Amino acid sequence: MPNIEVDKREFDELVGEEIENERMIEEGSMLGAHWHRIEGNVCEVETYPNRPDLLSVEGLARAYRGFFDIETGREKYKVDDGGLEVGVDESVEDVRPYIGGAVVRDLELSKKKINGLIQLQEKMHETMGRRRDKLAIGLHDLSTVEKPFTYRAVEPEKVSFKPLEYDKHMQLGEILEEHEKGQEYAWILEDEERYPIIEDAEGKVLSFPPIINNQLTEVDAKTQDIFIDVTGKHKETVMRALNILTTALSERGGQIESVTVDGEEMPNLSPEEMTLDIEYFREISGLDLSMEEVVERLKMMKYGARKKKNGKIKVEMPCYRTDLMHQYDLIEDVVIAHRYTNIDPELPEVDQIGRQKDIEDTVQVVRDILSSTGAMEAMTYVHNNKEDLTDKMEVEKEDFVKIDNPLSDEYSALRNMMTPSLLEVLQQNKHRGYPQKFFETGNVAVLDDSPSGASNRKEAAFIQIGEEIDFNGARQVLQILERDLGLDLEVKEVSVPYYQDTRSGKVLVNGEKAGHIGQFSEEVLSNWELDKPAAGFELDLEMINEKLKK
Amino acid sequence: MKLSTQAIDILEQLKKHGDRTVEQLEQSGFDQSMVNRAAMELQEKGLIEVEEEEEVTRYLTETGREVAAKGSPEHKLIERVDEGDKSLSNLQDLNLDVALGKARQKDWIEIEGGSVALTDNGRNALEKDKLKARLNEEDFMQRDEDRGLVDTETEVTRILVLTEKGQDIELKSIEEDFNVEARTSMPRTGKKHYYKNILQYARQTWLELGFEEMQGGYVVPSFLNFDALYTPQDHPARELHDTFFVENPGTSDISEYGDKVEQVKETHEDGWTTGSRGYGSDWSKKEAERNVLRTHTTAISARRLHQIDINEEELPKKFFIVGRNFRNETVDRTHLAEFYQTDGIVVGRDLDFSNLKGYISKFFEKMGYDKFRLIPSYYPYTEMSVEVQVWDEEDEEWLGMGGAGMFRPEVVKPMLGFEAKVLAWGLGIGRIASMAAGLTDIRELYRNDIKVINETPVWRPDWNTSNGGNQ
Repeated sequence: MPNIEVDKREFDELVGEEIENERMIEEGSMLGAHWHRIEGNVCEVETYPNRPDLLSVEGLARAYRGFFDIETGREKYKVDDGGLEVGVDESVEDVRPYIGGAVVRDLELSKKKINGLIQLQEKMHETMGRRRDKLAIGLHDLSTVEKPFTYRAVEPEKVSFKPLEYDKHMQLGEILEEHEKGQEYAWILEDEERYPIIEDAEGKVLSFPPIINNQLTEVDAKTQDIFIDVTGKHKETVMRALNILTTALSERGGQIESVTVDGEEMPNLSPEEMTLDIEYFREISGLDLSMEEVVERLKMMKYGARKKKNGKIKVEMPCYRTDLMHQYDLIEDVVIAHRYTNIDPELPEVDQIGRQKDIEDTVQVVRDILSSTGAMEAMTYVHNNKEDLTDKMEVEKEDFVKIDNPLSDEYSALRNMMTPSLLEVLQQNKHRGYPQKFFETGNVAVLDDSPSGASNRKEAAFIQIGEEIDFNGARQVLQILERDLGLDLEVKEVSVPYYQDTRSGKVLVNGEKAGHIGQFSEEVLSNWELDKPAAGFELDLEMINEKLKK
Repeated sequence: MKLSTQAIDILEQLKKHGDRTVEQLEQSGFDQSMVNRAAMELQEKGLIEVEEEEEVTRYLTETGREVAAKGSPEHKLIERVDEGDKSLSNLQDLNLDVALGKARQKDWIEIEGGSVALTDNGRNALEKDKLKARLNEEDFMQRDEDRGLVDTETEVTRILVLTEKGQDIELKSIEEDFNVEARTSMPRTGKKHYYKNILQYARQTWLELGFEEMQGGYVVPSFLNFDALYTPQDHPARELHDTFFVENPGTSDISEYGDKVEQVKETHEDGWTTGSRGYGSDWSKKEAERNVLRTHTTAISARRLHQIDINEEELPKKFFIVGRNFRNETVDRTHLAEFYQTDGIVVGRDLDFSNLKGYISKFFEKMGYDKFRLIPSYYPYTEMSVEVQVWDEEDEEWLGMGGAGMFRPEVVKPMLGFEAKVLAWGLGIGRIASMAAGLTDIRELYRNDIKVINETPVWRPDWNTSNGGNQ
């Protein structure tokens, strides 16, 4: 979740009212942006990725003016005709096809405001920009360049300029290799032969998107007129981002001026419309609000809204909202304005009797029986690794689920048997005195021919260790299970890699194989750094469950 | 001489086995506080002395274990530089802060203009990762401790040693001062794991509320985990650092979902017939077939939606699951790579947001939390999207317990096949369990220390036993 820092005085100024800190933290969080901490004037605000329009103090203030009923309804932004044209060369088509542009004039900036703008830009890059891949933003001091501009892709060694933070002219290729930002974002342009640039009428570079701007156009406190460029790979995302930035600057008193990009005039700040059906609203929200009340709440969320006939409300959606796809989204906002806290919980009448999975009942019975034998229940990870499942068990076959991208080797597989997990439990309890007995019921994942290629299987495993322990200790516990479940559990001698040759067998239920039992071999005990004899068994509970049924 | 039963028991042990530590006696089944009381009594009578031995042991921390297993960051750095990765940006995958700092300190490298070069010292150091070797040999030094690779533990061992008088006295000559009020020894018994019991309690709660249980595998196609839940294919959650992708079996056959695959695709692209605009971006079936370890039990809820057959099942229906999920996160005291969650869905035609609040408040009430609230949140697949918070009486703060909402029509219609309301939630249980057991480190839940399992009392939400004293 993107967190931003906001200056409370600036926020209050833009809201037009001083709002108490306590109210922001409690009621303010009910808008869908969490005000975590306010220390002095610095507020830490957590927003959600569906609302990039809240990533600036300007955007937040705009939303809260409505939410706190200070100034409701849709914000109207005037766009003056501007004469700036941006030509788009077809060479960008395969690299980074879309560009949006806008001019905002007569700004009164300060260091603090510029920092806020940079924060907005960076957070948008991270979230809706997918780390600049889908979207990248540049802000430029318009007075430093000559119109018209061109957006085109060029060969890396053909163009050079002095990038921000570096005091020398660099070719585009050099920037990718040497400049900190170049190195960070070079992956986006990987395999491209030509790189995109925005240049002015005299061939001066404004920007090398999505990497870095020219020092020449850097915005500072004296800048009055700003040119915004947004480039990217998805047109709608580019246009929405342009709207978020343009309207945020306009909240600062700037005058928006249009730019003609490849013949298309922008930004387009006019609202799109959606119709909200009042009955549908009531059905989903469970709130019996009148048309007027719904309209009022829509306006609190900065929508334009008008009552129409037949229970319909015509809703104008702010041009900076990127998340409105369905009437459901409008309904959510109405309920947010109404406050989630003002909804009374209600349980509907549903005539249904609870039902657990069949296997779960068997699992509970087995837990009861095994814990009554004096064994302690363990709870271990399903995650495992090759070493534990094969090497340390003297097993060769690697028939388990393998993970492609684990952060740590410990998580590179899912277990296909539980016994290694219990051996690890013994290893961790070496300092706790002997004898020890453990059991666990849980899932393993086995490879099979199901559609996903692997399924869960419920198993039970038992282990015990101590000076006096041998095969018969495990056999006893197996017999107790047999007695209490009322099942025939037969053992047939068979060799199992981790058990001693003459003390290992398979467990049969009604003649079908349901698991293994045995006394662990010296090798396996030493692999797990255990120095006392140990024995155990592992059973397929799903098969046992099946055999238990009449 | 008169002695209590416990003191006689302990004296008998000492006479039989010679000097014993408190721990040894505990292992023989005597309760620690009982041993202490008996020791005090025997000391008063001049039969034993209690000696204390201090032992300082050094052991590897988690960082230390990492270095011992995989090598030190600084050595990895010079290896990479030696292989030709000189530019800092190519080395971002290393723990650069530490690596650069240490390598410089050891005079192994020089940095100029974002590029790293080896010094003579550095080239000499290439041959062997001495730190790694040393840690593996457990040859620890103070500087390892300063660097956080090694930690120390001081263990005080208390030994009960018979005095001459104690050795001479005959057990037979001691009169038993029978004390019914004193504690006797504790046998080691079987016991269920406290966390399992809490999970069981949660299952029981849903069953009492009339829910039907659902289950499903850990390995699921991205289709279930993400696409069916209207999570766009370029969503950050689908990146490698959040989700475990499965190498083998790498993909699922998703043909069992039939036409629904195409419906999901169209919903993502342009909203299909759900009344939505969709995301307006391309959707690839191949991406949907990639297997992941489910990151939420909501994947199983999506599957259950698909399985509802309107001809056979009458709505409304309600389902729940308590199950494990997996996230590719760095494990620490508050994060695990696998964790339990309970998901529920209620599917019906006449359901609304107040019902969602109803079910969630009922569940938490039964789990012992009277005060709860819903605050706005965001998930791609729900709208309203809410975060569920409960009030923690002890710390006086709101605790996040998970997410909930109403499934978007973009989820419901393609997967269910028709329009309906679906209330949905995915709530964390690990937090309730660690609070019940009084744990401050969530990793303890899976450590299976006999002592912790033994000493944690049974948990019930309305019992006053909520802290097992494992702080």
